[in-house]
Order: sequence, then C-alpha cells, then structure tokens
Amino acid sequence: MSLEVKVPVVGESITEVTIAQWLKKDGDRVEMDEVIAELESDKATFELPAEAAGILRIVAQEGETINVGAVICTIDQDGAATAPSAPAAKTEAAPAQAAAQPAAATATVVGETVEMKVPTVGESISEVTIASWLKKDGDFVQMDEVIAELESDKATFELPAEAAGTLQIVAQQGDTVEIGGLLCRITPGGAGSAVANAEANAKQEAATQQVAQAVSAPSGAQTYASGTPSPAAGKILAERGINAADVQGSGRDGRITKEDAQNAQTRPAAQAASAPAAKQEPSAPATTGDRNQRREKMSSLRRTVARRLVTVKNETAMLTTFNEVDMKPIMDIRAKYKDKFKEVHEVGLGFMSFFTKACTVALKEWPAVNAQIDGNDMIFSDFVDVSIAVSSPKGLVVPVIRNAEQLTLDGIEKEVVRLAKKARDGKLSIEEMTGGTFTITNGGVFGSMMSTPIINAPQSAILGMHNIVQRPVAINGQVEIRPMMYLALSYDHRIIDGRESVSFLVRVKELLEDPMRLLLGV
Amino acid sequence: MKYDVTVIGSGPGGYVAAIRCAQLGLKTAIIEKYNVLGGTCLNVGCIPSKALLDSSEHFHNAAHTFKEHGIDLENLQVNIQQMITRKAGVVKSNNDGIAFLMKKNKIDTYYGLGSFVNKNTIRITDAEGKEQQIETDKTIIATGSKPVALPFLPVDKKRIITSTEALTLTEVPKNLIVIGGGVIGLELGSVYARLGAKVQVVEYVDAIIPTMDRALGKELQRVLKKTLGFEFFFNHKVTGATNEGEVVKVTAENPKGETVTFEGDYVLVSVGRKPYTEGLGLENAGVQMGERGMIAVNDHLETNVPGIYAIGDVVRGAMLAHKAEEEGVLVAEQIVGQKPHINYNLIPGVVYTWPEVAGVGYTEEQLKEQGRAYKSGSFPFKASGRAKASMDTDGFVKVLADKNTDEILGVHMIGPRAADMIAEAVVAMEFRASAEDIARMSHAHPTYTEAMKEACLAATENRALHI
Repeated sequence: MSLEVKVPVVGESITEVTIAQWLKKDGDRVEMDEVIAELESDKATFELPAEAAGILRIVAQEGETINVGAVICTIDQDGAATAPSAPAAKTEAAPAQAAAQPAAATATVVGETVEMKVPTVGESISEVTIASWLKKDGDFVQMDEVIAELESDKATFELPAEAAGTLQIVAQQGDTVEIGGLLCRITPGGAGSAVANAEANAKQEAATQQVAQAVSAPSGAQTYASGTPSPAAGKILAERGINAADVQGSGRDGRITKEDAQNAQTRPAAQAASAPAAKQEPSAPATTGDRNQRREKMSSLRRTVARRLVTVKNETAMLTTFNEVDMKPIMDIRAKYKDKFKEVHEVGLGFMSFFTKACTVALKEWPAVNAQIDGNDMIFSDFVDVSIAVSSPKGLVVPVIRNAEQLTLDGIEKEVVRLAKKARDGKLSIEEMTGGTFTITNGGVFGSMMSTPIINAPQSAILGMHNIVQRPVAINGQVEIRPMMYLALSYDHRIIDGRESVSFLVRVKELLEDPMRLLLGV
Repeated sequence: MKYDVTVIGSGPGGYVAAIRCAQLGLKTAIIEKYNVLGGTCLNVGCIPSKALLDSSEHFHNAAHTFKEHGIDLENLQVNIQQMITRKAGVVKSNNDGIAFLMKKNKIDTYYGLGSFVNKNTIRITDAEGKEQQIETDKTIIATGSKPVALPFLPVDKKRIITSTEALTLTEVPKNLIVIGGGVIGLELGSVYARLGAKVQVVEYVDAIIPTMDRALGKELQRVLKKTLGFEFFFNHKVTGATNEGEVVKVTAENPKGETVTFEGDYVLVSVGRKPYTEGLGLENAGVQMGERGMIAVNDHLETNVPGIYAIGDVVRGAMLAHKAEEEGVLVAEQIVGQKPHINYNLIPGVVYTWPEVAGVGYTEEQLKEQGRAYKSGSFPFKASGRAKASMDTDGFVKVLADKNTDEILGVHMIGPRAADMIAEAVVAMEFRASAEDIARMSHAHPTYTEAMKEACLAATENRALHI
C-alpha cells in the first residue's frame, strides 16, 4: 500500500512551498509522525511529519517549489494493519491530517470518540484563534466536512472533521488555543451509540465510509484535469489575460469553473516580465572579457516582497517629505554614556532607540501617521508597534517591536538586538513579522544619503534614516560643522495630510535634536 | 447604408454569425444569393435529407418491423409526391423561421449575390440584375460549399445527379448507384433503399465513412447490407458514366485493374464538397486563397485582409453545420473584443443513417498513430434493455480513454439516436472527464444513453454491468 504525502494546506495566503531539506533519504524507512522534511514558504519554515510508517519514496527534490496539495513523496506502507488508513489519509489535504495521527486514529479506534486537537501548522505558529464554528454542538458531522475556521496571525484555515459522528464542542468561538490543545470531540454514530457490542457494526460502517471517501476522493486531488478551465471559464480567462495555471480551480479535481474564472485576479506584471528575458539572444561577439551570466531562482520570500512592493506602489498615493536632523546632541549623549549604559543594561546604546522613541512620541501627536486604511474605514491604533526593516540573508524582513511607546531606551535596544539576531538566523516567526503600525528603515548603515522608502503595507508611513555626514550648517548665525542626517518620511497621502506628515517629521527632528524633550515630554 | 458587420451567406454559419453580431450590438446585414435563407444545410442538405430520412424510416419500419410490434398493415405504399411535399414544407417553415430571427434581431436582409467592390464596399446584385452597394466595417464570408463534380463524369441533373437533385426525385429509383461512401451518399442511399431501391455503393478507398473511427464504418457497412441490402464495391475507381435514357451505365476499374460496369436508373455522385467562392470578388478586396479552393484564415478566422473573416465550409476543417455555427459565434465575439475559443477536436461528426453514427475526439487509428497509451471499452446495443424494447439492437458505443489518467480521448458510437447521445461525450470531454466519471453518473433506465455509461464502465476496469 503506497500513501501519497501531499503539501499540507498551511493557510489560504500560502499557495506554494519550497523543499528546504529532506531529512530522510529516498528508500529510508520512516516512522509515523517522524519529521521527514523541512518546507519553506514565503512566510515561515515548517516541518513535514510522515503520515504513516513505511519506506520513503521522494517525489519532489530539494530546492523544488511545489504547490500546496501537490504530491511531495510517497510512503510504501508495510503490513496490512495500517492499510485501511491509507485511503482516508490519501484524501486529506488539510493541516489536521498533515499531523497524521488522526488518520490512523480513525482506522484503529473506530467506534471510540475522536478528540480533535489543534493541528500543527508550522513551527512558527504556536496558537490559533477559533474564528467560527460552522457546526453547532450536538450536530452530526461527516468526515472531512469543514466544521470550523481557525485563524492564526496571518492566515485563516479550515478544520475538517476527522471522523463522522456527533460534534461536541470544547473550545468556544473566539478562544485562543495552543497547538495540540483540544478543540472538540466527535462521537461516532448517534450520540454515545458506539457501545462495545455494536462495535462490529460500527467497524463495518466506518470501513464502508472510508471506501466511499476513497472513491469520491478525486474532488480534492491533483489530477491530469486539475487547472482545466471549463469552456466558459477559458473564454473569461483569455479575455482577462489570465493564465489558467495561475488560477486555483474549485471544480471537481481542481477544474476551473466559470465562477473561479470570474473571481481570478490578474497577476502583477512582474512575473510575466521575466519570461521574455530568457529569450534574449547573446549580443554581437564584439565585446571582450567575461560575459558569463547566472540565473538563480528567486526565493519565495524575495518574490513575495517584490510583489508586495509593486502592489503598494500601485495601490497607494505615496509621497515623501524630507527634513534634516543635527545628530550632535545624540552623539554627545552616546559618547558620554555609552559605557555606563552598556554596564547597566548589557546592551549598546544605538541610534535606533532614540529614533524609535522619538517616533512613538510624534505618532501619539499625529495619530494618522500610525493609522491604516481598511476598505472604507480608517484604523487608528493607540499603541505603536514599530516594524524595523532588517536585511537578512534571505531578503528584507521587518520584525516588529511591540508597544514601543511603553519601552525604555534599553528595552528598545534589547528588542532590536533580539530580532536582528533572529532575522539573521532565519528564525523569525510569522507573528514576529506581522501587525506593525509604523516602520523605520535605516538605509544609512549602507551609506545612503537620501532615499524615498516604500511604505510597508498595510501601514501608512515609513521613516527613512540615512547616513550621518559632517556638513557646515548655520547655528545661531555662525557656520558650524555638524553631523547631519537627512530624514525621509514616505506616507500614504490618502490618509495622511501634508500638515500631519510634515509636522510629524518636524516633531521627530525636534525630539532628536533636543533629547531632553523626550524626558520632559515637551 | 453603412454596417458594422456584413455577413455574406445565410447558412448555419452565416445566419448564426449575424444573430450573434446583432446580439452584441453591432449593426448587421446579411446577404443571400438565393431567395430563401438557410443555405445548403437548410435548403438542400441536412434538413431536407433528415426530413426524407425520417419519412423513409417510418415506411421502412412499417414495412418490416410493425408486424413484429403487433401492427398489421395492408397495401403499404409510398407516396413520393407527398413525401417530397412534406419535406418542402419542413424546409419552408425553417426558411420562415430564419427570416423571423433576422427581423427579431434587426438584421437587414439582402437577397442577391454579394461581392466585394473593395475591402469595405459590397455590391449586391439581385436576381433581376439590379445593383446596390453597402458600406461595411467588417465582413464575414460564409458562402459555404457545393458538391464536387468529377471531370470525367459530368452531372446532367437528370439521371446523373448530386445530393441536391436527389432530394427532389419524383420517383423511387429501382437501382441507385451511389458514387462515394461518405456521409451524404450513405444517407441518401438509405432514404431510397428504405423506399425500395437497390443501392450499390462504389467507393474509391477500402471503407465507408473512412475519416471516422474504422469500427463505425465496419458496423455500419454490416447493418446497411443486412437491413437495407446495400452492396458495397470498395477500391473501385469510377472512370465514367453515360446516360442512356432510362438507364445509366457507370464504368469503374476494380482492384484487379479490370473494367466493370454498373447499371442503374440513377447515379448519385457524392464524392465530396468544395468551398464555394464564385462571384465573391475576393480579388477586389485582396483576400488570398489557401489550399484546395479554401479561403486562407488565421486562428481567429481572419483572412489576410484585416476585418474580413471567413467561416464554415469555405475555410479549413470539417464541413459541418455545427462547426460553421461555432465559428460564426467565435468571429462575432472576436469582433467586439471577446476571446472565445473552439476546440476543433471536440466537434462531433454525425451520419444520419439508421442506426445513426456519431463520433467525437480521437479515433482509435489516430491514437495508435500518436503512439498514445489508451484503453478501450465498448458496449453493444444488443445488451441494452431499451434497444431490445425498440428492436434497435444494432451498433455499439466505444469509449477510448487514456491508459494512465482515464481521461476520455474519443467516443465513437453507432446506434439508435447516436447523433443525440454524442452530446454527452462532448460535454464530458470539454471538462476532461475520465471514463469513470461518466460511469459514476446516474443514467436514466431504460435509455439508450445507458450504453454510454456501460461503455465507460467497460473502459474503466472492464466492469460493465449488463454484459
């Protein structure tokens, strides 16, 4: 019996994963639940546990990027005992089943109550919130029927029933439950009917059900017909210039229905543009020297960032305003207290803490700069979660310093160090990168003199720091040489008016040029 | 007058194109050379032959199967005049129907020969020779086809006839010689065989309906021989025919190279049809021709002259009314900027003999040629309860599916109402269904379409139920 292991559904926002590493070799024997591979998505890395015990046959190789639902490997199962679970497991694409134990559970403990726990979605997600129960307590549910919607920080996913039977809800709507926490119980048959003497019957029933499942399975499976548009859908896609391969089909076996075609989104042009490049003919051989070119696959993180940046440019009314700040006061403070600060707080006193602090104060005064547009609404936050742009080996990441307005300077510095280290190691979780209300980016560390940063959507503003240059400036009618830095604030003019953006930036400048104001609150 | 679109030719391709143009808000004109709309299909093709096929089938059944059904008839006679009159009535009511559709869709109808003066000007010359000109932005050429005549065998329209004359005979031939074993020859041959004619089919190649799946031709040949007494002469090369008053003599070269003679009172020449573009003035618009008298078009059915399109029998592809209709819709929609698509592989081919023959997708021969791994499942009508009840037990349904994916690649059937049943196969294949998909869909019992389900079961894992 061979079991196909597919890429689990991680959340609706994730459509493909890259195989970072196989931890087992082709032909190795694997145990159920043993971690066999590491997968990467554009947001996080997660582990793939074996869905059954057996001999591993690798289908997708390391480095390959495959769609959610695609077959990643097969496991040749041994022994008839585990065989019945195979058809059921085969049908499952949801994360719950990726964790594997439920499939086996239904096969081996037929007739007993199944306890459904929060599935492992990926190592970066430690808890989920129950967005809604789609079934009521006491309802009869079919196996694989979606019974609840779960939310993690970024993604929403569906919870399919792991068995047929009567639903008994344990965790209520709105509850936040940790991975592995109990969500509900499903009692096979009518409530409590699964008594010992009826066990044989129940077994039979379950077996029939599983066979039925296996047969009707193609609805979720990838087949030769997946992505085939219906005649009407094909016409719509052609007219809108959408490639059928870019559309997730909801029809039988992934066929693209008319409705799918109508709802399909046009992909940003960035992707299409890469194709013609491949056709470039080498130019005339007149030039000398090394003309070698390299072609590398974009990491999914880079692709995602690229797509978002273009989207933001296209969908916001972005404008940048500049000011300059005399860094001498802060530099003096640093020079004076650097060692003491380190001694007391065990962290260096950088510029970042001053800038973050100044921004939180200014954001309190100009709340629109800290706000977001959501459809026809504006969301104002009374807290400041500052996203810090960090260049990591895999690309740009923006971890968040939560409630920065409440942190002391050393608290901010510690957070910066902690997050930067995680970014460097590629260990940042989805939660640590989402939910910021304002972003600070420091192009100055690489020597940038002036730039117009792009907003980190859905936020409305971003502060750009630059390098510090000794320049002659007029101070009280005298020319003095001061360490000067240009500051840029890119903002979404739809929600932030010029008065607010400029005033905000001026306020930041004031606070930085006279840090005593931070202390006095003036 | 100035039009957005002018359609030349009012056959199933032309009038459908005109209706779709009008539906899409284009100011549309249609030009028809004859004084009635509908083209070949309606006037001298599908519709009148189907009318005669149905009439003759009734007669044939009355003569041969009613007794077994428990209906005794005496003095059964064919009133060929009435049969032809009824046929004319069917044609007339369809003519009127199309005229009504033109009016309903506010399409201006011009009767007369339409020809290009230049790319955007069309001259219409009516039967009396009166001329008028209209201006048009776009033009759709849908002038269809006409029967091919053999150079050494001139049609005299009296004894040596084409399908057109065969539809208006005033007597039942005693011995009809059909040259060509294609669709038209077999359909019209069936009509007169049922009415009592002895029919001999002389065919150049080694099979009838040779472009369809070979199994269909073989079975049809068997049935026509058995039920209607058809005689088939394959690998015979016709060399000439002479009208000797009451009889016609046809000479041919048999496979051994010997000359043989056939004698009959009528000879039906049905060796194919060719695109009809005479008098269109294509040269005035600069439209280029392609191979074998066809108008050359690109994938969008546009000729080398932007804004001039051609559809149906005048362009490449099967000469089928429903193919022309799809192309008419395609061009109309393209003109307004939509992007429709035709899957030419999924246009069904149909022969209205009895049993009917229909096929769609790849034939078994094509799959072999492609070297594709396929599997086949078939189900005979003699195992169908419904077919037994109606005594239509000849024929079968054959389903060809991909060996690995089970995707249906071709469906070929010969049997009662196959022409209607093939639609199920087309729908399935447009959605890339597998044989098991059809096998798992409920089919009403008892019906002929159950044979489709059973053939799919047979193709799935050889699990047909009723055999």
